[in-house]
Amino acid sequence: MRPSRRAFVKWLSAGGISVSLSHLASAASAPFAAHETLPGRGNFNPATKGAGRVDGAAKVTGAKLYASDFRANDMPGWPQTTSHAILVRANDATHVYTGIDLARLSGPLKPSVVVTASDLDRIGTEVPEFYAGDLFCPLGKTPLYLGQPVALLIFETFDAFDQARLVLRDGTFVKFGEETGPVIAPDYGSYRFTRVAGPSPDKPDVYSPIQAGWVSPKKVQSAALPVWSPLAREMPADYVKAAKLGEQIRSELAADNASLLVLDREFETQSVDPMFLEPECGLAWYAGKEGNKGGNLELVLGVQSPYEAAESLAHLLGKARAPYKPSHINAQFAHVGGGFGGRDHTPFILYVALAAICFPGKPVRLAHDRYQQFQGGIKRHPIKMRSRIGIDRSTGLIKAFAADHVLDGGGLQNFSANVAVVAATGAIGIYDIPKVDVTTIALHSRGVTAGSMRGYGTLQTMTALEALIDEAASELQLDPIEFRRRNALKQNGRTMTGNPYIVSVRTPEILDKLEKHPIWQRRAQLRQTTGDRLVGTGVACVTKDYGSGADCSLGRVELGADGKIAIFCDHVEMGNGIGTALANRVASHLGGIADEVSVARVDSYDVLGLVTSGDPYTMDQRTQDAAEKNPRWVPSISSATSASIGAHVGTHSSSEAARVIFRFGLWPAALELWGIPKTDPRARQWANASWQNGQLTMAGLDPLALPTLAATAHARGFVTGAVAHSFSRWAWSRARFPLFGEQYRAEIDALAIRRGNTKFERVNRVSVKFPPTDNNRIGTAYTSMCGTLVRVEIARATGAIRIAKAYSVFECGTALVPEVVMGQSHGGFAMGVGYALLETLPPFEGGPGNGEWNLGRYLVARGSDLPLRDLEIEMLKPLTPDEAPKGMAEVVMIPIVPALVNAIHDATGHRFRALPVTASLLKGVLA
Amino acid sequence: MITTRVKIMAAMAALTSSLCAGYAASDTTSHGLASPESFAGIADTEKRSAAIFTELGKVLTHPRCTNCHPAGDSPRQGDNPRLHQPPVTRGADGHGPEAMRCHTCHQKANYEPGRIPGHREWHLAPREMAWEGKTVGEICEQIRDPARNGGRKVEELIDHIGKDTLVGWAWKPGFGRAPAPGTQEQAGALVEAWVKTGAACPAP
Amino acid sequence: MTTLSLTINGRKHGPMDVRDDLSMNDFLREMLGMTGTKFGCGAAQCLSCAIIVDEPDGSSYTSPTCVAPAVNFDGKSIRTVEGHANDGQLSALQQAFIDHFAFQCGYCTAGFLNEGQVLLERLARAPVAREALEQTIADALDGHLCRCTGYIKYHEAVRDVILADSSRYLVATK
Repeated sequence: MRPSRRAFVKWLSAGGISVSLSHLASAASAPFAAHETLPGRGNFNPATKGAGRVDGAAKVTGAKLYASDFRANDMPGWPQTTSHAILVRANDATHVYTGIDLARLSGPLKPSVVVTASDLDRIGTEVPEFYAGDLFCPLGKTPLYLGQPVALLIFETFDAFDQARLVLRDGTFVKFGEETGPVIAPDYGSYRFTRVAGPSPDKPDVYSPIQAGWVSPKKVQSAALPVWSPLAREMPADYVKAAKLGEQIRSELAADNASLLVLDREFETQSVDPMFLEPECGLAWYAGKEGNKGGNLELVLGVQSPYEAAESLAHLLGKARAPYKPSHINAQFAHVGGGFGGRDHTPFILYVALAAICFPGKPVRLAHDRYQQFQGGIKRHPIKMRSRIGIDRSTGLIKAFAADHVLDGGGLQNFSANVAVVAATGAIGIYDIPKVDVTTIALHSRGVTAGSMRGYGTLQTMTALEALIDEAASELQLDPIEFRRRNALKQNGRTMTGNPYIVSVRTPEILDKLEKHPIWQRRAQLRQTTGDRLVGTGVACVTKDYGSGADCSLGRVELGADGKIAIFCDHVEMGNGIGTALANRVASHLGGIADEVSVARVDSYDVLGLVTSGDPYTMDQRTQDAAEKNPRWVPSISSATSASIGAHVGTHSSSEAARVIFRFGLWPAALELWGIPKTDPRARQWANASWQNGQLTMAGLDPLALPTLAATAHARGFVTGAVAHSFSRWAWSRARFPLFGEQYRAEIDALAIRRGNTKFERVNRVSVKFPPTDNNRIGTAYTSMCGTLVRVEIARATGAIRIAKAYSVFECGTALVPEVVMGQSHGGFAMGVGYALLETLPPFEGGPGNGEWNLGRYLVARGSDLPLRDLEIEMLKPLTPDEAPKGMAEVVMIPIVPALVNAIHDATGHRFRALPVTASLLKGVLA
Repeated sequence: MITTRVKIMAAMAALTSSLCAGYAASDTTSHGLASPESFAGIADTEKRSAAIFTELGKVLTHPRCTNCHPAGDSPRQGDNPRLHQPPVTRGADGHGPEAMRCHTCHQKANYEPGRIPGHREWHLAPREMAWEGKTVGEICEQIRDPARNGGRKVEELIDHIGKDTLVGWAWKPGFGRAPAPGTQEQAGALVEAWVKTGAACPAP
Repeated sequence: MTTLSLTINGRKHGPMDVRDDLSMNDFLREMLGMTGTKFGCGAAQCLSCAIIVDEPDGSSYTSPTCVAPAVNFDGKSIRTVEGHANDGQLSALQQAFIDHFAFQCGYCTAGFLNEGQVLLERLARAPVAREALEQTIADALDGHLCRCTGYIKYHEAVRDVILADSSRYLVATK
């Protein structure tokens, strides 16, 4: 249910702009691509033997790698000098914007170009629907949100830019007039998720979203909150049905029923910044030509969503007037200095392109400083939650749950509607609850835009839930882990949307681990609720989905005659180790670690000739059935690196491409070298072969080294390269491809192969099965679990809190790079600690939209805030040796947050119902 | 386009979260200092002396001073004093711990583009000279006690406060920081008048 | 404008004229194209931009480059992330960062590398007791922010380099 994506091909024709999806020159002759291809042929590769990352050497030697590292003179064929732009933003959203006064910039400090709202009309830009809203606040209007851009100033030289930014930094040159109050705009989306289970688990549900579809109340244009009542006028019929059941659940919770423990609690979370360390930036050059013929627009960007970025830029300029309309856009994507969601669908790129378009002939760099990144960067949604839970006192089983969520989406819609959905469908965490009713709404506000961020709404709702569960266990005088165990959803149980998970559910195992751990075992012994130093222990256990419900990847693998492997993938390296994960996953098929891994590449799969149409999240089955008849059609071409899909989806296409190379390249080569004829039964026993130390081994036969096999495959014209596309809507697409006289079946929907040293050729699928469109009603089907224990010590006098010991246990199927997985779980823990105890941004005035925020005020966890030597992380082994990798980057940051809240209660007796719990708040309740 | 759907409504004060208030406090405004002569009306010398010190107290309790005369071992920063980031401690000599000496960030003078204050001698006041959280009366008792003022006679404080260039930084603190009230010269004059009237202290 | 000469990674640069208020960070990144030194906060709060300053007496310290004018480095000798490897041979700490998977996005790595290297050199001059080692590392690295890793692997990498050559970095135990 993500906002509609237009088909890329439509823009190619409607916009008349071609976009670089053609393969660039080879890495060796294109320096940018060479920089971004790691570790590079012949270079030291730490990933060989599993002792490091493919990007390891580049990152410890300061190699040019990030978008912020590139200037015009690093780019071949570009003019040598870089110009610089300042994006001026409004620091007021309650008064009419009346213009900028640049009188203080005189002489050489005068900008060469000033771009404002009126210029956009002249240029004829068209804002992609996803970013709907004025790119620049027009004169005479009140800014839509704090931090809304008002102008771009472009300076030809660095010196002028550097001095001008100093002169402008107090922001007082942005002028405002009459007070209007904030702009009121409609909400970004509201939904109701109601489920009533059948009389027993084996009976169908009475009602569930998967049966009935997702429902929304009537859209209201003026009130701040919608009317949720089923009795309201003009309510859609499908909504009324859900709402009536929902209201019934609520009245049961409200009824006077002594056998039921009912808790009714509020919880509130704050706005935070992803605070990735590399502020957003970009470099662009528009070689605009005279007359009506636009030239190339070249860009260097660093985002989590490269394909979307190219698409949006084409949309932005597709209807531009001459001479502002480029004839071709070539966007190149760099490694990313941290993302955490904040670089997924960021409007920043639009301004990079505009800077170049408005200063033709000159490469322009637009880069946030940290103040600007706080002012303009995507934030996490603050959520106000009210939750009611009803538990049967005699059995300790949860009978019903109802909640209402209000998300502050800030100034632009971005992913607000989606975050609201994911937050709501995550609201019952690991539990099996027969009656659930959750309403959610994401509102516009004058705050800085909120969007995707690690946890995607579930961090907030599961924190509220796990704090509530802790309180309920305490009221029932049940052990908190035992209470969780009784209510945990089992392997085939149904989630809130009515579907079961289709991956392993290992909550019981995780709860057992938590229960047996010394931190838990010693909690009573070490607890201190009196004296100067208070000690308490907390627990929490959560499950977080991975995947968005329409995810895909592109992969290309090439095997040289010398056995060297090159991998190209459209997913992005933002610290997640995707490059190394790709290398390892491909190595499992080809027996060697790649020498060249090129990530964030959206330009290397032209041969597939993919086309798409419609919206994969909202499409109906008939449309999909008709569209898939075109063997080049797929529901979506390329995904953002987000939703923890790197391991599961991001590496899948490359892995499948490698499988094809093995099966139709290396295996026939091995048969030749072993002298096994095709008629020999062993010729079909490829599954019995295995790689050991770079050699293909099979019982009773001589081991064969990869280079030998590769040379043979090349010499004999067997398959030496493959390009694949895969798509997942809570299940993989599957197709059959005619290859060498057989129907090859695989979990991919497009394939091209290379034989020997020839060119790649597309292999048209002969049948395809895309996952049904009804899967769009699933809230989540892929999920992974994590539990955390934490013991805290609180100084009564100061409220200073110290994490004395912590333990997290999680599962992620097969870890592609276990060290990276452990590193991410460390990082998730640290980010969770910051969220629970330190980080907060005021939502409106005085908040980051004023352009005055930096890390002196906004505290993220440092080493001294963390139990560096007292954090134990346990990664469960995969349930089966072939269990697929599961996404884990988000789930590992969640349980520490409620575990801390619960531990603080254990120590102080106070239940905090808002985040963060700072030392001064603690001091306040301990006084 | 969202712009066609939005409407402006004036009175939406309800949306303003109460959370805001704590953060909205802007930079401390700098007020002037009264001159020593303006206390001439107080006939009692001791009371006059104490009153002069109370005036001086506007300087001594200002964040520009208390941030580096902190209660503990860590400096504070900003006009709404927060713990210094990155976290540092005074170290053995008040110039920071071995791995993070003050001068590595704080240069010889303020560096405006980095919004960072500087002085050749940038360091923390000794522990016994802590002013943070104290009343003007307490600071007064402390400042005239040689054991807690760096072994100075009260007369020496005239130049220390009136002329020392590190102290003087408080009146030219650079972008984003409110200067201490008045001028260094005026503060020095107050110290001198206080000393000359017997260096009496206001009630603690 | 002031004339600036300095030594970077053993190589002399300048004399050249630079604006008095040009930051050292911009001098390295914009004038010299040495972008291994990062820009993170511009306020000396994350230290991703820290470089090493070598004193004539053989001691060294790290300095953020975002809050210091380039001209303050006149006559100084500095090291940056680009200068640790010798003829393509990674330093022990660089290798340890790789072996430990110490970084993820890598944007803070240059700062941690410089700080860790200065610590190694300080300990080589003034060893500490084994019991004090972890705290010494924690104190040294605490100014550096990392948003990806949780710091543990950085600390372990530094510690393991020290323990691998303990006679050099640690006080001999009796």
